Amino acid sequence: MVSDSPVYNVKISSVGPGRATVGEVVQHYGGLDLAMKLHYLRGVYFLGKAAAEGMTTTHIKESMFLLCNDYYMTCGRFRRSVGSGRPYMKCNDCGARFLEAQCDLTLEEWLDGYFSGNASWNIGQLVYHLPVGPELFFSPPVYLQVTKFKCGGMSLGMSWAHILGDIYTATDFINNWGGYLAGHKSNGPFHQQAQPILNRPLLPTSPNGQTPEPLSLKRVDPVGDHWVTANNFKMETFSFRLTATQAAQITARQTHNKSKKPSLFESITAAIWKSIAKIREGINEPKRVTIIRKTNSSQDPMTGNNRIAIGSVSAEFSVADSDSGDLAGWLSDRIGELADEKNLIDEAVERDDGASDYVVYGANLTFVDLAGADLYGLESNGQGPEFVCYEVQGVGDEGAVVVVPWPKSSDGEGNEGRVVTAILPEEEVEKLKLELRKIGVLEED
Amino acid sequence: MPPILPDFSSTVRLKYVKLGYQTLVNHFFYLLLIPLLLAFTVEILRTGPQELLNLYLDLAVVLSSSFLITSVATVYFMSKPRTVYLVDYACYKPPVTCRVPFSTFMEHSRLILKDNPKSVEFQMRILERSGLGEETCLPPAIHYIPPKPTMESARGEAELVIFSAVDSLFERTGLKPRDIDILIVNCSLFSPTPSLSAMVVNKYKLRSNVKSFNLSGMGCSAGMISIDLARDLLQVHPNSNAVVVSTEIITPNYYQGKERAMLLPNCLFRMGGAAILLSNRRSHRSRAKYRLVHVVRTHKGGDDKAYRCVYEEEDREGKVGINLSKDLMAIAGEALKSNITTIGPLVLPASEQLLFLMTLIGRKIFNPKWKPYIPDFKQAFEHFCIHAGGRAVIDELQKNLQLSAEHVEASRMTLHRFGNTSSSSLWYELSYIEAKGRMRRGDRVWQIAFGSGFKCNSAVWKCNRTIKSPTDCPWADCIDRYPVHIPEVVKL
Repeated sequence: MVSDSPVYNVKISSVGPGRATVGEVVQHYGGLDLAMKLHYLRGVYFLGKAAAEGMTTTHIKESMFLLCNDYYMTCGRFRRSVGSGRPYMKCNDCGARFLEAQCDLTLEEWLDGYFSGNASWNIGQLVYHLPVGPELFFSPPVYLQVTKFKCGGMSLGMSWAHILGDIYTATDFINNWGGYLAGHKSNGPFHQQAQPILNRPLLPTSPNGQTPEPLSLKRVDPVGDHWVTANNFKMETFSFRLTATQAAQITARQTHNKSKKPSLFESITAAIWKSIAKIREGINEPKRVTIIRKTNSSQDPMTGNNRIAIGSVSAEFSVADSDSGDLAGWLSDRIGELADEKNLIDEAVERDDGASDYVVYGANLTFVDLAGADLYGLESNGQGPEFVCYEVQGVGDEGAVVVVPWPKSSDGEGNEGRVVTAILPEEEVEKLKLELRKIGVLEED
Repeated sequence: MPPILPDFSSTVRLKYVKLGYQTLVNHFFYLLLIPLLLAFTVEILRTGPQELLNLYLDLAVVLSSSFLITSVATVYFMSKPRTVYLVDYACYKPPVTCRVPFSTFMEHSRLILKDNPKSVEFQMRILERSGLGEETCLPPAIHYIPPKPTMESARGEAELVIFSAVDSLFERTGLKPRDIDILIVNCSLFSPTPSLSAMVVNKYKLRSNVKSFNLSGMGCSAGMISIDLARDLLQVHPNSNAVVVSTEIITPNYYQGKERAMLLPNCLFRMGGAAILLSNRRSHRSRAKYRLVHVVRTHKGGDDKAYRCVYEEEDREGKVGINLSKDLMAIAGEALKSNITTIGPLVLPASEQLLFLMTLIGRKIFNPKWKPYIPDFKQAFEHFCIHAGGRAVIDELQKNLQLSAEHVEASRMTLHRFGNTSSSSLWYELSYIEAKGRMRRGDRVWQIAFGSGFKCNSAVWKCNRTIKSPTDCPWADCIDRYPVHIPEVVKL
């Protein structure tokens, strides 16, 4: 924690299931889940004064204990199988780490500071995070931090190990909590034992035997029990907001005189890809990007990485020299027919029974589209959050950009704002800011 | 070679011999009465009706005999101690947010004692063998890493536990706060000013002439001491209600150092409390659950080893904790023997006492090598509530008193579900027996508590009415899961 951080008085405890998980209940992970184990989703939900009314520590903890009754499979601890060393989770009710903190700023002041580009002002102040390991026995996969602000508002920060599930399961977790807060939900009387979760069924494999290597996956050196992505550069995060109007302008500029109308995500992706390509000129120019977005599947299981579609597009041409609008159009076509590589990733990891370590985010320059995630579904005192942002921890060297919907900023014509968070090598961040200002994506200071 | 089968016929014969012997000795006086009665009847029949009538009409005889009967009866009733009834009691059930599964306890321990892996190892081994379950509770202040025991949080825990138990008691008995004549609160390790009993007086606005007492520092057996005190007070004050609150406040006493002997209580002590209503009012007689028969207190503090075996002191770093000595079990055994020696004659049937006396004489006079006869307390009591101080205590007592698994089931299951809640554990155990529907009218219960000093205190209750399984006791939602099998070592 930075010594001049505005957040202080941190108290650490744990929340777990109120109901004892009886018996030897374990959760197994598929190949895709294991591929994600070095990544962590970190999100913050900002609740205004009215929403945060009556949220005492006791009330919050009570509701979380009820929530954890349903999510007992996130409250255990990792173990390794005897023999293969494949990670699994022992559902021993150990719980999530719970932190309480205070901040002497108002919500607005904190958010302004966050978006001001000050490197020391980061999401880590509101989302305590430690990676899993080096002792798997004692490492919680989920961290929850409640910070109370001077204005009466509060923030709920969550660090969620990606092995447990994707952004859609993570947001469901938080939204369900809202139900318990309001007293809508209750687990009923003590049950004898939780439903044991056995092997997750593997995703259906491809028809023919010889499967190609997935483009979105990169193998890394073994990390042992300390699940941290080894980066050659120090990764830094920088976020900026795009109001609905600004977002509409970006798209308009790109599609001026063009027939294709790419989506906002595609426009932003094109703009940033081109900027990064310019920064990393020469052989380092990223020719391939990974796109992670919501899958079309209608299933919504409580855990698991089933609701994202992972695919990669490769450009034969020079991205840095291409026209932004053309690039956006090209991307739009390619994304429309993009193959979901989840099965390939699953098989690749299963080949050595999960013994190797991989990264997905940052294997190539990754763009994550969180549209379709019910980020503002959390309800407290009948109110939704003022603001929600998410980022990814443990991104590989190529970097990642997360595009989060910002429905509070809309222009009445169906356009919504976006919050864009880039996780890139430190030295690229300033250069990216310059580039983005040049093309008008980022406003001048 | 086929195994030699036990001689069933001789075992059966022995059983009948024992039964015959017990009936003969226990009902000796009644059996003696039969020939006397026969002789009296014969005498009356021989004396003609006319002579009987003459006897009856002899005024002097009539008056003097009725005067004799009346005076004997008066003396008897005046000198009889007032009967003390246990009207009802309520045990505190902690909220689920206070729950401490093994894994959480170990993880917090690992984070707090990060420089002392050996101490963490030690705690893990203790927990594996402790007999505690996954649902025991610690107060909110102890859930923090590191624990935050402040006076305010200790008071908070005291208010939470005591007020919940007392509210529950009021609900169950219909007692009004202004009807409380005597209030006794016992909590060994937390003694603020104003006292916890003053806290109760303040909260419930008790009468200004309430007799309040606060017992602190008396260990896990203080519950029985409070009952004894209440009983003595109820002899002096007629027509009174006494409320006894037994609890142990964990918050200020959680050991924060690394000495192993002092870490042991952290692993075993858990949050709990009970409130009991005792009364000597005749109006309570019909609805009271139990009648207090005996309270026997034994204090071994005169022996230095016994005095020091549970000792609160500072460790090398100045952190205060309770040091449990290695001779604890041996000293507990000695204290129990003393207590039994006193209580035996009060409760054992004559047959057992006679056997014991004969074996004692035999050992002294004939042959010291005779095995000392351990009286069979199962004949004196239907239910046993042994303080759930730890698995070792229950094992030791089960062995010494030759009790079956069912007799100690209440103690073991209380240890599993609630941990060692100190002075209130006996009440959780009694509640277990009631919840299981095993408490019948006329059943006798023996509550045995051990505590620092070293003391062994016990109370004998007689069930006043058959008790239906209560729906609002702390076992209500989990009694169906019990009894559970508790393995020797739980794998963490």
